[in-house]
This record gives sequence, structure tokens and C-alpha cells, in this order.
Amino acid sequence: MALINNKTKKALSGSGVLLLAGLASLPLAAQEGHQLLRNNCGVCHAESGSADNPVFSRISEQRKSPEGWLMTINRMVHLRDVEISADDKRNLVRYLADTQGLAPDEAAPFRYLLEQDTNLIETGVDAELVETCARCHSGARFALQRRTEQEWQYLVDFHMGQFPTTELHALSRDRAWYEIARNQTASTLALQYALDTPEWSQWQSEPKADVTGRWRVVGFVPGKGEFDAVMLAERADDGRYDLSITGRYADGSELSGDGKATLYTGYEWRASLTLDGVRMRQVMALDEQGLSGRMFLAAEREIGGSIQAIQDQGEAAVLALLPSFVRKGEHAEVEVIGHNLQADSLSLGAGVVIEQILSQGPDSIRVRVSATGDEGIYPVQLGDVAQSAGLAVYEQVARVDVLPQDAVARIGGGGMMAKVRTAYRVVGYSAGPDGIPGTEDDLRLGYMPASWQILPADEEAEHDQDHIYAGEIDANGIFTPGIDGPNPERRMSANNVGRLTVVATVTDGEEVVEGSGNLLVSVPDFVRRVLD
Amino acid sequence: MKHLKSMNKKAHLINQAINPEQVEEVVAMQTVVGCTATTDPGWELDPFGGLGSLCQPMESDLYGCADACWWPAQVPDTMSTYPDWGNGVAKADEDWRKLDGIFEDGE
Ligand code: HEC
Ligand code: HEC
Repeated sequence: MALINNKTKKALSGSGVLLLAGLASLPLAAQEGHQLLRNNCGVCHAESGSADNPVFSRISEQRKSPEGWLMTINRMVHLRDVEISADDKRNLVRYLADTQGLAPDEAAPFRYLLEQDTNLIETGVDAELVETCARCHSGARFALQRRTEQEWQYLVDFHMGQFPTTELHALSRDRAWYEIARNQTASTLALQYALDTPEWSQWQSEPKADVTGRWRVVGFVPGKGEFDAVMLAERADDGRYDLSITGRYADGSELSGDGKATLYTGYEWRASLTLDGVRMRQVMALDEQGLSGRMFLAAEREIGGSIQAIQDQGEAAVLALLPSFVRKGEHAEVEVIGHNLQADSLSLGAGVVIEQILSQGPDSIRVRVSATGDEGIYPVQLGDVAQSAGLAVYEQVARVDVLPQDAVARIGGGGMMAKVRTAYRVVGYSAGPDGIPGTEDDLRLGYMPASWQILPADEEAEHDQDHIYAGEIDANGIFTPGIDGPNPERRMSANNVGRLTVVATVTDGEEVVEGSGNLLVSVPDFVRRVLD
Repeated sequence: MKHLKSMNKKAHLINQAINPEQVEEVVAMQTVVGCTATTDPGWELDPFGGLGSLCQPMESDLYGCADACWWPAQVPDTMSTYPDWGNGVAKADEDWRKLDGIFEDGE
């Protein structure tokens, strides 16, 4: 591994002007990126290749997400004493994510990690890789990278050198971990997560969309509720976007803020905003439909909710209906959210009668509807054009799913470590044509209001009174864990940890439906990476 | 063992193990992202998916565990990556309030 490169050092100090002249034919971004790599990384990472196609040892044979690149550079700063300015770091992450990023299809199965939506048990990673790799950190951390086999091997070597006790853990000490990881796992990884893929070649050749303009947005903020808004994106001098957003929550209270966004790799939207004084982040992916992803508190990434946006293209378009469901035979008020709307062209198909238009504007129409038809989804029509949003007409809420289904909260607040809370929501379903809840044909109705409760997960948890010590859940479904430190009241002065069942109760007319989720209240996570 | 059910999809497999020594021959325990599946001992969960066999309270043998970089993605490994973590906090069970996390610059 030729990390030290005397040639580059000499070239940099000797003939900088000539070097720049040699690069003049390249597009500016590529030229700047190349220079950033030379200046900040070239001392250790040997440069080869040509001016149009420079190759830096260890850097050029990997592709990853913007966060993946950020983590690597952070690691260079911490472990290799690299000094890099905040501006150079930001520009380098952008350059690397643009030129050595992931195609949308490559990132799609693992977006939860990018969105910091980590309260789940991963299912998309091979058993072999779970045993060898995804047992200290997530599988998505490496599934969101593409490398040559040799680069996967070097990564194994790095782990072995940095964390030598890896070999002593269960699932290592019973076998030759290092040999297996280096010889077998690295080739599995190189097959599944190869550097060169048709997806990436295809994506690089595709034209990229422009995100400037007016966006119609719907989302959810825990504790505040659902909101709809208009977001304006303007191109700033530094290549980022200036954002401003105004809207309101479902309870009528207003929302406003501004911030900055960056579009990486032509589709990875990352924004930092201050919404009514609170710093928030948006992580979204851009596709033909628009933007979708998650928005969360910058200081507390577990507290967030889904967010979606469509761009104003001059035509009428619907983004969402609030609420998205009406019980069969009943009347309800529904708000249609979109762009360039006209009430006289709005319809909801034969089974949903629009009885009255309560208010109308280009961004929103409020109507009173009567659900006369049978159970099913009734897509919104604007003139002749069916929209992807629709209204669900249902007979009965048969099942409610508590989200997240599996979660971890962490004690804190007594010293340096903050509490890690969990934000819950409920999605309601009807039983669908087969009349049996929990089957494929269940009809998804949407998020529903619920009341919340915690119970001990089992007899042992009850015996240890986990439900008394581990924390509490509020009316908004936000669970706040207990304080950290030993608790002398508990057996052996145990921490306020516990295993709980989170129960949601949804009341729909006369009926009451319950759902539950598993919550582990645990000790702090003292190592918080950009990607778990 | 009933309490296996909650956090652990593969609990039924682990349930078949007769004693903790046999657990590792079965399968990696899958846990919520951010938790470690290294459970001998475990940080968030014990090998049975419960809390009964953890070092509790965690402050009692914190350095014994962290020095050996047993859970390097949850507790700073003072062996090679963060040698200074825990300096000035000689006894974690008394001085735990001073223990700080490693927070990576996420900007
Ligand atoms: C002071 C020397 C030094 C500098 C400067 C340096 N690196 Fe590294 N880099 C290393 C060493 C040593 C390794 C191999 C060990 C490791 O993976 O940490 C490495 C490894 C890497 C890897 C492979 C990591 C992996 O996950 O396999 C990448 C990518 C990388 N560096 C990128 C960069 C970038 C980008 C810069 C410039 C911002 C940079 N490095 C600057 C020393 C350096
Ligand atoms: C002993 C626990 C452990 C095991 C097992 C483990 N990792 Fe890691 N891994 C870590 C830790 C801790 C870090 C963070 C390194 C740092 O930033 O100091 C890390 C970092 C990484 C990174 C990010 C590196 C970067 O900067 O780009 C990747 C990718 C990764 N691991 C992949 C893997 C793969 C693939 C395997 C299986 C061969 C594996 N890990 C096995 C603990 C582990």
C-alpha cells in the first residue's frame, strides 16, 4: 500500500502553477476537487493516473454516501492527525459523493441509516455478513459502500489493527476470524457491493434535476404533529441552496424557518434548518415524484418524522390528503394539499361525494366529503388526471401498528450524556377483502391518533419494576427514559434500564384497537458516529 | 425463557441453547441498530436477550470492559482509539457524571 508519496509533495511545493495549467481543460468542479485531494490528502495517498482521471491510493477504489465520506475524513482527522478546514472538508465530501457516490438504487434498501431512522432490526444483510461484520455496528454502514475486493480486505485489516479484541468475541474466537473475514467475507462483500456496477454507470450518465423553486411539503414533528408547508429553494453562491419554509401544523399553529440544503450525487438532499428556533435536519432522496425522507432534531436524531415534498412545475398536482381516511357511510372534512389547485376540477371518484367546498386556494382545498362507496382507495382526480394520493374508505380499523416496532431508548440526563428518547406513532389498517387483519391485503389507512401506555415486557421485567424505573411515555407518544447512574433503590443498584412493551390504543367510533411495540431502555451509547 | 421474545428475532434459536457457553455456536443475536450483538458480556442485552446477566450497574466494571475494547462502537476503546477517555474519572461508579461521549462532527 503506497501511502507516502514524495512525488506529490515535491510537485506541490515546486511547480504549483504548472500543475494548475495542466488541469485547465477540466470542468471547474473536477479541477477543484482534484486540487482539494492533492492539498489535503496527497501527502499520504499517492497520486497516479492522468490529469483527467487522477487516482489516489486507497481513495479512488471506493464509493459511498456523503455521510460515509464524512466519516472517513473524520477518521483521518482523528486517527491520522489530518488538518483540514471546515470549508475544504465540506467541499471534499461533496466532490467525493458526486464522483464516487452511490446510485439511488444502491442506497435505496438502506436509507434508514442515512435518515438516522435506526429504531429497527435490520433484515437486508446476509447471515454471513451479520456474523462477521454487523455485530458491532449496523450492516447498512458497509452496505452503503462499494469497493474492490482489495479495498474490502484493507478495511478488514484496519479493523484487526484498530480493534484487536475482535478476534476474542463470541462468533470470532470459535473460528479464525481474521482469515475468514479477509479471504471469504471480503470476496462476498466484493460480489455484493462491487466498485463498478451498471447502476452507477447508468446514474452517472443521467441528466440531473434542478431543485431550485417552490416546493409543497408535508411532514410530521413529534410532539407538534402533522404539518404542511411551502419551501423555497434558491441557489446560493457556494453551490448550496438557501431555504425558507412557512406552513402550519394540523392544530392551526404556524411554522416557519430557514436554512441551507446541499444536493449530493444529484439526488441526496441534506438540509439544516432552524424551525421556530429549533435546529432540524432533513435527509431526503430526490426522484421523479419529488423529495421524500425524514426530518429530525439536529440535537436528537431519534426524534423525527417522515417528510415529503413535490416541486411546482406549473401544473396542478396533489401531494397529500389530511386525513387520508374516512369511515364508510360517514362525513368528514378533508384537506387536499398540492400546487396550482382548482376546486372545480377536483373529484374523488364514484364512492366519495364532495358535499361542500369549505375553502380553496392554489395550495390547499378543504372539502366536506361523504363516503358512500365500498372499502378501498379512491385516488384524487384533477380533471382527467389521477394523482398518486388517495382517500381510503374503510369499514373498521382492524389492526394498528406501533412504529417503531423495536426501539432502544437510553438513560441519561444526570451527567454529560443526554437521554435518548423515542418518538412513537401508529398506523391503522382495515382487514381488507379477506376480512383477516395482519395479512397482505390489509388496507393501509394512515397515521392515527392514539393514547399511550407502557407495561413491563414480561414477568422478569415486572419483578424488577422496569415500568416504574425505566421511564415514561406522554400523550404525544414520546417516551422519555429515566436518569443515568446507579440506582440504589434497585437490586444491585442497577441502572434505570428495562424492557418494556409500549401499548397504543386507538378508538374509532365504538371500537377500541390496541397495538404494541418492544422497547429496550438501555445504558448510554458513548460513541455516536455520523452513521451507526 | 420467556423474556427472549422482545428484542430478538432469532430468540427461538438462542432459546434452544442449554447454557451461555453454547449460545455463541448458535447464531449472532440481531438487535436494534446501534446496539452491539457482542453479548459475552453484553452492553445493552445479555446472551438471552434480557438484562439479568449484564454487568449492572454498568459503572461497576466499566473500564474492565472498555480497556479491552469489547464494544468499540458503543464504549470508547481506550486501548487504541480513545486512550484518554475516562481520564479524571478514576471510579466510574462514583464519578459517572463526568463520563462524556464521543460525538462525531455531523455537519
Ligand atoms: C497523515 C497521512 C494521511 C492523510 C493526510 C490522509 N490519510 Fe487517509 N489514510 C491514511 C492511512 C494511514 C490509512 C490506512 C489506515 C486507515 O484506514 O485508517 C488511510 C486510509 C484512507 C482511506 C481508506 C479507509 C477505509 O475505510 O478503508 C480513505 C478513503 C482515506 N484514507 C481518505 C483520505 C482523505 C479523503 C484524505 C484527505 C482529506 C486523507 N485520507 C488524508 C493516512 C492519511
Ligand atoms: C469489533 C467490532 C466490529 C466488527 C466485528 C466490525 N466493525 Fe466495522 N467498525 C467498528 C468500529 C468501532 C468502527 C469505527 C471506526 C472509527 O471511526 O474509529 C468501524 C467502522 C467501520 C466502517 C467505516 C469506516 C470508514 O471510515 O469508512 C465500515 C465501512 C466498517 N466498519 C465495515 C465493517 C465490515 C465490512 C466488517 C466485517 C468485515 C466490520 N466492519 C466488522 C467495529 C467493528
